[in-house]
Amino acid sequence: MIEVEHLSKSYGSTRAIEDVTFSVEPGEILGFLGPNGAGKTTTMRILSGYLPANEGTAKVAGFEVHENSMAVRKRIGYLPETPPLYPDMTVEGFLHFVARIKGVSAGDRIRQVDSALQRCNLTEKRKVLIRKLSKGFRQRVGIAQAIVHDPPAIILDEPTVGLDPRQIIEVRNLIKNLAGSHTVILSTHILPEASMTCNRIAIINKGRIVATNSPENLVEQLSGGAGYDLEVAGDASTIQQTLQSLPHVKEIAPLPLESETSHLRFRVTLQPGADLGQEIAARIVGAGIGLYEMRRFQVSLEDVFLQLTTEERSLEAADTDTDAEVDSTAESANSVESSDEGETA
Amino acid sequence: MRVIFSNILAIYRKELQTYFASPLAAAIAGIFWFLSGVLFVRILFNATLTATQFDAQGQQIDLPSAVLQDFLGVLGFISLFILPMLSMSLYAEERKRGTLELLATSPITNWAVALGKLLAVLTFYISLVLPLMAYEAIVFSSTNPPFSPAVFLIGHAGLILLSAAILSLGMFISSLTDSTILAAILTFVLTLLLWLTDALAGNSGLLGDIFGQLSLLKHFTNLVQGVVDTSSLILFASYTVLGLFLTAQSVEAFRFQRS
Repeated sequence: MIEVEHLSKSYGSTRAIEDVTFSVEPGEILGFLGPNGAGKTTTMRILSGYLPANEGTAKVAGFEVHENSMAVRKRIGYLPETPPLYPDMTVEGFLHFVARIKGVSAGDRIRQVDSALQRCNLTEKRKVLIRKLSKGFRQRVGIAQAIVHDPPAIILDEPTVGLDPRQIIEVRNLIKNLAGSHTVILSTHILPEASMTCNRIAIINKGRIVATNSPENLVEQLSGGAGYDLEVAGDASTIQQTLQSLPHVKEIAPLPLESETSHLRFRVTLQPGADLGQEIAARIVGAGIGLYEMRRFQVSLEDVFLQLTTEERSLEAADTDTDAEVDSTAESANSVESSDEGETA
Repeated sequence: MRVIFSNILAIYRKELQTYFASPLAAAIAGIFWFLSGVLFVRILFNATLTATQFDAQGQQIDLPSAVLQDFLGVLGFISLFILPMLSMSLYAEERKRGTLELLATSPITNWAVALGKLLAVLTFYISLVLPLMAYEAIVFSSTNPPFSPAVFLIGHAGLILLSAAILSLGMFISSLTDSTILAAILTFVLTLLLWLTDALAGNSGLLGDIFGQLSLLKHFTNLVQGVVDTSSLILFASYTVLGLFLTAQSVEAFRFQRS
């Protein structure tokens, strides 16, 4: 439905996005996740045809967004960062206006507007001037505006920003209901939002896509999942061997020491679904190794996000500092590990 | 074609609704009607004074034409101040609110938006002028010998054409900035320059000739005197089309250059 290939855009000398490639299948919700200033809005604007890209192509329903702009505009609904509203119009009047300029035929207009009002829970506010609406309602009018012509593709730029928790849940449910019949791209910098609403997540940082996958797979692939951090005293290889023989242990990696002691620290990553706390403790104590700390960690999407965005920063440092390339790569590996300290058990 | 027409109509209706709901537009209408009313009465009194003087001397003058020319001159001058205030928010407000992003991502061309907006603001201006035409018509209908309605209509058509040109250029300036006040000031300055361009250029040589022909005041005065000169019509139409064209271009450029 939406295909983006090698998209790049710069404002003057600053690169906003670079070589962005992703695709969205029909009926899917793709979350575009990234910290502020990562290039989310720029990508959305290019997709909507508002901004031209410097390089690369973006296609919606098979039409190139810039070359075939009019065809694309008919097929998308777009909610910009700030909802585009006319304060002196009523909700209903505004939606009728949008339906008209989006090319909804006169016969369908009333039905379409009613359905948009209903879907966005705006029916009771239909005669109210937009100027008098609260932020949450305005946001909903913004979404209604994007779906009023029933477009196959919907682009939502930060749809829940500035809403209160109850409204956020409402908007998320609304977006979930759009899936199936519509293809949705939404951008957000809030992780739980992406993981709760979206089928797939594209993480963008500093203008580059760093990962695309389903929320579960992102956690699964890019982190170790769950396991234990251990602080022990003894011979490193003995400890490794002792733990290696346990079933469901995926990986044992040394961790950097937090203070000057002779103790060693390890991260034991377990296969999904396995919790071997008891066995690990028993094995270590059984082997006569001193156990000083044992802490459970669980990597969440948040950690993956942090990991990916932090990694990027470290890699960039490595690029500029070629002499210390090896060191900084090691550093970046460390920073990755130290960033996914999970909740203690 | 039908789609384009329906798009223009959609923009036209939306804009017109904004004007009739806007307190600023109401204030502008109030000031316009008050000033023009007061000045019309004054012009009329002066005319009756002149008439009695001429009568006493046994001479005859074309009083209705003089009144019409004076009054239309006054209206043109008031409009110099009114029109920039009407055109200032056409695009500046859309830019500020971010609604330009909605228009730019809808299947509607820039020039259709511009044309819809221009027609709407022109309609609003015409609705300001129509009541004046009503009381003028009452006065002119009582003249003896009867006053030619053609001259009356041509004069007012000239006023509307002049306004279309100014509003169109004002719309272009409004599309250049987020600030309505700045748009109003710049439009006023530009209009004033075009109004007086013949005076500014002096009357010497080719350059003076060219600038003289560009003058809004000169061509407006022609029409007010009931002289339908094709060059005047072409000049006003050219300014209007130029404004529309530049607006469409500047909106397009705005999308390309924004950072």
